[in-house]
Amino acid sequence: MIGFIGHREIAKREKADLRIAIDTGGTFTDCVCLADGQLRVLKLFSTPADPSLAVLDGLRQMGAGEGLNVRHGTTVGTNAMLERTGAQVAFVTTAGFEDTIAIGRQTRARLYDWFQPVPVSLVPKKLRFGVNERVSAEGEALRTPSEEDLAALVKAVRASGAEAVAISLLFSFANPAAERRVEAALLELGIPVSASHRILPEFREYERASTTVVNAYLAPKMGSYLTNLENRIAAQHKGGRMDVMQSSGGIVPARLAAREPVRTVLSGPAGGVVGACQMARWAAFDRIIGFDMGGTSTDVFLADAAAGGAERTRESVVAGVPIGVPMLDIHTAGAGGGSIARFDAGGMLKVGPESAGADPGPICFGRGTLPTVTDANLLLGRMDSASFLAGGVKLDRDRAEMLMSKRKGALATVEEFADGILRVVETEMEKAIRVISVERGHDPRSFTLVAFGGGGPLHACALARALRIPRVLVPILPGALSAVGILLADVVRDYSRTVMLGGDAIGALGKDFAELEKMGAEEFAAEGLKGTAQHTLDLRYRRQGYELNVEYDPQVPARSIVAFHRLHAQRYGFSDAERPIEIVNLRLRMTAEGEPYVPRRHELVAGDGSAAFYAEREVFFERRFRPTRFYQREKLTPGDRIAGPAMITEYTAATLLPPGASALVDGFGNLVIDVGGEVRA
Amino acid sequence: MNARASDPIELTIFQCAVHSIAEEMGAALRRTALSPNIKERRDYSCAVFDGKGRVIAMGDHMPVHLGSMPMSVAAAVAAIDLGPGDIAILNDPYAGGTHLPDITMVLPVFVASEKRPSFYVSNRAHHADVGGRFAGSMGPAEEIFQEGIRIPPVRIVRGGVVDREMLDLILLNVRTPREREGDLDAQIGACRVGEQRIQQLAKKFGARALESLVDELLDYSERLVRAELRTMPAGEFCAEDWLDSDGVTDEPRKIAVRLRFDPDAASVHVDFAGSSAQVAGSVNAVRAITLSACFYVLRCLLKEDAPATAGILRPLTLTCPEGSIVDARPPAAVAGGNVETSQRIVDVLLRALAKAVPERVPAASAGTMSNLTIGGVDHRTGEPFTYYETTAGGMGARMGLDGVSGVQTHMTNSLNTPIEALEYAYPFRVLRYGYRCGSGGEGKFRGGDGLTKEIEVLTRAQMTLLAERRRFRPWGLQGGEEGAAGKAWVSRAGRAEKVELPGKCSLQLAAGDVLRIETPGGGGWGKK
Repeated sequence: MIGFIGHREIAKREKADLRIAIDTGGTFTDCVCLADGQLRVLKLFSTPADPSLAVLDGLRQMGAGEGLNVRHGTTVGTNAMLERTGAQVAFVTTAGFEDTIAIGRQTRARLYDWFQPVPVSLVPKKLRFGVNERVSAEGEALRTPSEEDLAALVKAVRASGAEAVAISLLFSFANPAAERRVEAALLELGIPVSASHRILPEFREYERASTTVVNAYLAPKMGSYLTNLENRIAAQHKGGRMDVMQSSGGIVPARLAAREPVRTVLSGPAGGVVGACQMARWAAFDRIIGFDMGGTSTDVFLADAAAGGAERTRESVVAGVPIGVPMLDIHTAGAGGGSIARFDAGGMLKVGPESAGADPGPICFGRGTLPTVTDANLLLGRMDSASFLAGGVKLDRDRAEMLMSKRKGALATVEEFADGILRVVETEMEKAIRVISVERGHDPRSFTLVAFGGGGPLHACALARALRIPRVLVPILPGALSAVGILLADVVRDYSRTVMLGGDAIGALGKDFAELEKMGAEEFAAEGLKGTAQHTLDLRYRRQGYELNVEYDPQVPARSIVAFHRLHAQRYGFSDAERPIEIVNLRLRMTAEGEPYVPRRHELVAGDGSAAFYAEREVFFERRFRPTRFYQREKLTPGDRIAGPAMITEYTAATLLPPGASALVDGFGNLVIDVGGEVRA
Repeated sequence: MNARASDPIELTIFQCAVHSIAEEMGAALRRTALSPNIKERRDYSCAVFDGKGRVIAMGDHMPVHLGSMPMSVAAAVAAIDLGPGDIAILNDPYAGGTHLPDITMVLPVFVASEKRPSFYVSNRAHHADVGGRFAGSMGPAEEIFQEGIRIPPVRIVRGGVVDREMLDLILLNVRTPREREGDLDAQIGACRVGEQRIQQLAKKFGARALESLVDELLDYSERLVRAELRTMPAGEFCAEDWLDSDGVTDEPRKIAVRLRFDPDAASVHVDFAGSSAQVAGSVNAVRAITLSACFYVLRCLLKEDAPATAGILRPLTLTCPEGSIVDARPPAAVAGGNVETSQRIVDVLLRALAKAVPERVPAASAGTMSNLTIGGVDHRTGEPFTYYETTAGGMGARMGLDGVSGVQTHMTNSLNTPIEALEYAYPFRVLRYGYRCGSGGEGKFRGGDGLTKEIEVLTRAQMTLLAERRRFRPWGLQGGEEGAAGKAWVSRAGRAEKVELPGKCSLQLAAGDVLRIETPGGGGWGKK
């Protein structure tokens, strides 16, 4: 499938390398490039056994030649985490603390489950090693390892058969000297070595160690995957090179990504966030809540361009393992199109987290027997068999109706059951959006909901109404949003350091920042990049346990303090200008901007979309079926306005307009929906 | 939105919303509190109650608070005519509290122009010191007056304004007033977050609809429990277990229980007749704690991910001998009742339950929270400090599964204080922290191992240990062996020998002294 959305206005350089973004997904591998000012899209089936096959095939089909810059979104890291197929990692820490990596925070995952499984650490007992050293909280070396200690450690790690090493000594961020010596000694083993003072020089030993271990766990696999792929690209396309999307939403050269794979664990989803933000910005929406509903789960995120774009977090948990490097804050709810609905023993309707997945799938796909969200949508007339994956999957409505009516509990009709399933699943999603908005001091009413993924556009209007969000944007090419984001993302590297100083030291941070800047400048120079530096601080009231991140202006450092009080009041409802402040972490973000690209905006020609109209069918809204007009998205043109009730269908998704909502096709082909309904901002 | 009674869909939507309010209050409390015990270890609970004081949602926080927070709301409502913008504070175990360090706040929510509160929101947090004879307020006291400041239900906020005089009275009675003030501020803030969200909910559903949804939610929880109780075998199941001592004398203390299941009536009767009379030491539990333990066990029997509401307790009747170790009367000391006796009550209930449904019950877990409190003056800053932390032990083995090692079990689920956070906050150095290998009981399935921790104090300080399972070890089931007993030692600075400490003691430490704690392993399941 090939499409385009416009032209690059200005060619920045005389002869730029051709840039192609390739995002590997579970089903499809999406390729997007800018060629002759046009954005071209190609969709191929993924090749899970060796994901690079689809990547190379995509490059061929896109007609890539010499001087190629490939940008890649990969699931190799995510899958290794989920399937626990990473390396045998040796964990090296201060002697006496070897088990900290397994103990975690002493909590059990499920409060009321006597039969919860025994958690399995990424590092088995025989691969945990102690070094005779200790640094104090103030950074003083209380004990340093002898040469004999180091030699013995190297010998023991070699004998263990480890394939990678993670080193995280207590307080190494306050004084990395010992950790550096241990690192230098272990490098002679010739296996990847990850050191915590480089990966995450921040306090809280378990989270820092866990992040470092994940890095080591992924290093051999990601290292060989990325290196092989880049070499093959270079071999087939002279001068070709590769960059990789990080979970933070920034691009890094493949060589750096191979060294710090922990930063690319959520590579693909990050592309989706950047893509959604970019599309929204072109359409002139700066504050968005992203809503990506898939088959088994739904991702939501929040971005405010004025506050630096998409929110980031340093408290991620991926496949049960905490990761402390900054990632885009993507909150996942365990409900999607395949989620199974059932009545529990007390008669309450539950939807998810169990999913029918791809196998057996929803009832209407022909094999499943348990009601799912997709079946509910079909029964209520909200699916179009012909356009669903271009008719590639036949939807069996009779089967769904028969099996669902057997499980509708005390409800009178199967429609009532189906409607209930949708309202419950929409409540789950509303809850997820509340976590990232209301709970963090943002009022959803001032945001636009950007809906994508297979189910997002179908549920977006109902969800927006529940949250009193006035507007929904369904971007064009919702199926390739992630690849578009990867194509257009900036090159970004994040550096940080815990300093733990009093607020009065705010004017004396220049030296520490200079060291971070030097590191950043050197790494960028090595890749032939020129970056700009952005400084921020993590501040908190003295003795609090959590920090807030604020901008730091080297010219006027005290501004950070003012910003902190303001943010604390916004987020937690109170602030106190008299209370002493602690400076916890310094952060430096180096950015080299992506290729400037603005798609062409087409003139709006007022229309009613009648050229795209193809059917009128019954769809269930508010307790009854109503005649609803169906439109083909590909045939809509800028300026068309469609009033609900209506369905706008396309290859991978369908947008539902309930009565009272209306959609306008904007100059880029996006659907901009005024959700109407009882509440308006 | 209009809701009919017994609309399962409206009910799901309401339950989801009200649960997220409790979670949101917890997030606000954690992120603004000052003491490591609250911000790092999350030793708190938040809950939402209806206008009759019935709990309708609790965050997934601390099970020991489950059954006991409703008493706080009831006590506050009985004592004070709370108006809009008021917040009640209390910690008196004999008027809605459990032990003095747990300070509870209750805020009434007035929906629309109603004269009476339609809801209450409440949170409870464990403060690292509330005064009294021992730093950290968890020592071997002999009456409650030695355990710290007692706060009956009083207003800490009046009409939206903090009552400075009341606050000053409280702060004057504690060792670390600045930290306490910050934590109390965080509790007030969390109450207000809960209030705002309830108001939004009321707007969305309408006051009348909310009322019937609350009833429906409680009925729903009751139905889940009754469905489960119908599957239990009819009859009486008895068990007993022991506390090592009360901390004042060496005499073991008994807790006995008789469970009577009536599947036809879908009910259970729990009778603690035969349990020891209340004791001179601090291991007395007030009835609220005993009820919490029953609540927890019932909740665990449910297969569904059921909301923790007042409805869960409806099929249960509870008899406790008055003035006993499971239903203490003033002026008994109670600091350990909440943390130690509560765990033993769960052990006894499980032991009895194992006779009814052996395949569904795990062997005994560590059975102690190994409470450690240390207080003094930080030589680095000249400021007073008080530290409180529990240390996890081993989980009991289950049919088909080993026990988890080094994990909080049953009535608590607090996190550890990261070593690096600990050493920033206190004049301590941690020398060792790891699994206590081999401490889990042998069996077809092994009990989880306990933990070992060594802490060096860098300044003069008073240390108090409140721990159990020294003499009576965590039992195995179906032929599985006992887990190892808990132990503790102190090594004085510059001296080689280690002095073993009793489970409950308080002593002065000098700079350089090292304390070593080994927590019990879980019992094994099945013959090896």
